[in-house]
Amino acid sequence: MAGIRIEHVTKSYGPLAVLKDFNLDITDGEFVVFVGPSGCGKSTMLKILAGLEEATSGRVLIGDREVTDLAPGDRDIAMVFQNYALYPHLTVARNMGFGLKMRGTPAAEIDRRVKDAARILGVEHLLDRRPRALSGGQRQRVALGRAIVREPQAFLMDEPLSNLDAKLRVHMRAEISALHKRLGVTTIYVTHDQIEAMTMADRIVIMRDGEIQQIAAPDAMFAEPANLFVAGFIGSPGMNFLKSKLTMGSGAGTVSLYGQDVKLALPAEPLKALDGREVILGLRPEHITEGNSPVTFTVSPRLVESLGSEKYVYCDIPEANRTDIARAAGVDDERGDAQIARLINAGDIALGRPVQLGFDPARLHVFDAETGRAVR
Amino acid sequence: MRARPSRQALLYLGVVLTCGVLLFPIYWLVITALSPADSLHHLPPKFWPDVPQWGIFREIIEQRPIPLWLGNSILAALGSVGISMFVSVFAGYSLSRFRLRGGPSLGLFILTAKMLPATLLVIPLFGIFRQLGLIGSLWSIILAHATLIVPFSTWMLKGYFDTIPRELEQAAMVDGCSPLGAMFRVILPVATPGLAATALYGFVLSWSDYAYARTFLTNAQTNWTANLGITTMKGEYITNWNQISAAAVLVALPIIVIYLFLERHLVGGLTAGAEK
Ligand SMILES: Nc1ncnc2c1ncn2[C@@H]1O[C@H](COP(=O)(O)OP(=O)(O)O)[C@@H](O)[C@H]1O
Ligand SMILES: [Mg+2]
Repeated sequence: MAGIRIEHVTKSYGPLAVLKDFNLDITDGEFVVFVGPSGCGKSTMLKILAGLEEATSGRVLIGDREVTDLAPGDRDIAMVFQNYALYPHLTVARNMGFGLKMRGTPAAEIDRRVKDAARILGVEHLLDRRPRALSGGQRQRVALGRAIVREPQAFLMDEPLSNLDAKLRVHMRAEISALHKRLGVTTIYVTHDQIEAMTMADRIVIMRDGEIQQIAAPDAMFAEPANLFVAGFIGSPGMNFLKSKLTMGSGAGTVSLYGQDVKLALPAEPLKALDGREVILGLRPEHITEGNSPVTFTVSPRLVESLGSEKYVYCDIPEANRTDIARAAGVDDERGDAQIARLINAGDIALGRPVQLGFDPARLHVFDAETGRAVR
Repeated sequence: MRARPSRQALLYLGVVLTCGVLLFPIYWLVITALSPADSLHHLPPKFWPDVPQWGIFREIIEQRPIPLWLGNSILAALGSVGISMFVSVFAGYSLSRFRLRGGPSLGLFILTAKMLPATLLVIPLFGIFRQLGLIGSLWSIILAHATLIVPFSTWMLKGYFDTIPRELEQAAMVDGCSPLGAMFRVILPVATPGLAATALYGFVLSWSDYAYARTFLTNAQTNWTANLGITTMKGEYITNWNQISAAAVLVALPIIVIYLFLERHLVGGLTAGAEK
């Protein structure tokens, strides 16, 4: 086991810069998730770590060893692919033992380690089968087994769950987390699914267009997103964004939301620079409540989705507060002119019937409208 | 979508007609072989001889060195397929996997070699082989057939390699294989059906050649291939069509046997994972 250090890695395909100055320090045993929309360079970074792609510049260290120029097989890492990439012509046992065989491990020891790994993953009864005779979930386990059998310095996983159906995905998510706790091997996990990132990661690295947007633990990232992109990407449903002009009053910033002056809870100092300028205010759907709150407003729901225990109430944002920032950073095609309130144990809410909602200004996230950066 | 019965019947009729058209020459070949020599010009034609002349096969084998010819054909086919596969596996794999400068146009260029008619290539090849002293040697047609087979097999294999996900090699390389090791230990075994189909295709190309054999081997009787040998059975004044047909049946047999033998590889997809 070992930590991993990525220093100033860049990658370009011709004129297309896929990774721009990627820096990351991963401690031994950490579970790090790379998350971001499709095409942002997650897989490319993972392949550079694995040695399957060459970095245009920069260095990669695993443990204390610089591996930038080493072949994949010399890096002592294991990889799990989205399509599993099991060898179709080999049995499960030989699939799992392939890497050990390549390293000249004695047959008896391969056999023992394959059996151990198979037991951990519950695939002992499948050892003589070929991959094509396995279900998706079983293939997934075998692919994990092939990785753990080698006892490598690190696991690299590229969207390993996205070929599974929703239920199995949730189940395997928990299993991979448990496996990580049990083995303690440094793991880098790539996904486009923020829920996987939130639930599995020790630390999340969120990327966009080849650039790291923020590196933080899941809760910290949720509570203090560094910019509009992160704010919109992390959390489901995504954060609501409202636009307003900021005016600095007596020691505090004030914005105008729903036709009311709302005093921001932020200290005045960082806001001063934005006096008189536009800011974007972020408000998470779960921070909007029904009934009395420090700030209340009345709206007519446009759409109500009930999930039983909770209700998603969609309502219009006043013209003055609308932004053109799509919710969830453009991943979903939700429009910026509606906001969502996520109400737990809400009362009877009907379409078109006015309802009083509210929020605590302390929950507001403030972003510079020009740079998108969070102000705090 | 469910076809209506009338449409199905029409479809079947089409299939039966097509098969009929395709199989009739083979059927007629067999009939001609088994009929007495003098009954071939009868009108109306007989669709099955009264007394099938099974002895015809022994007769021609005793008169002509047919096993030798077949042996030569087999050697030529195996040799040219062997060389072609060796070249095409690497070429097809490279075209499938590596982004080379001018890679696509290189691939197309390989194909244009195939667009030239064989009769056009015969003349320069003859010159080359004469200089190398290969005229009359089986090597002449082995090499000539390889020039025919390589373009096709390279493209067939490229197409097949394209269907194999790159992640397989990547997994193999992470597991400790070199790029070449990944190809030999993982990709080629997985590509067995494609390799078999391609090799068979090349075999048939070589087997059915007449033009090259006629040009390079005419003066070396012991190296005649089956196709070349058969044509010498046609006399200037008298031709025993039943004998020629019987010989043709013998020449067709190996191909049919190979097809039957390889069929499961050709249609079965990846048989390796299919059991259990
Ligand atoms: N071999 C390649 N040649 C050119 N562009 C590539 C190549 N591989 C990936 N890309 C581009 O690099 C970007 C990042 O790809 P990738 O790392 O696979 O994204 P992600 O895994 O985050 O979805 C994409 O825009 C993709 O089109
Ligand atoms: Mg990817």
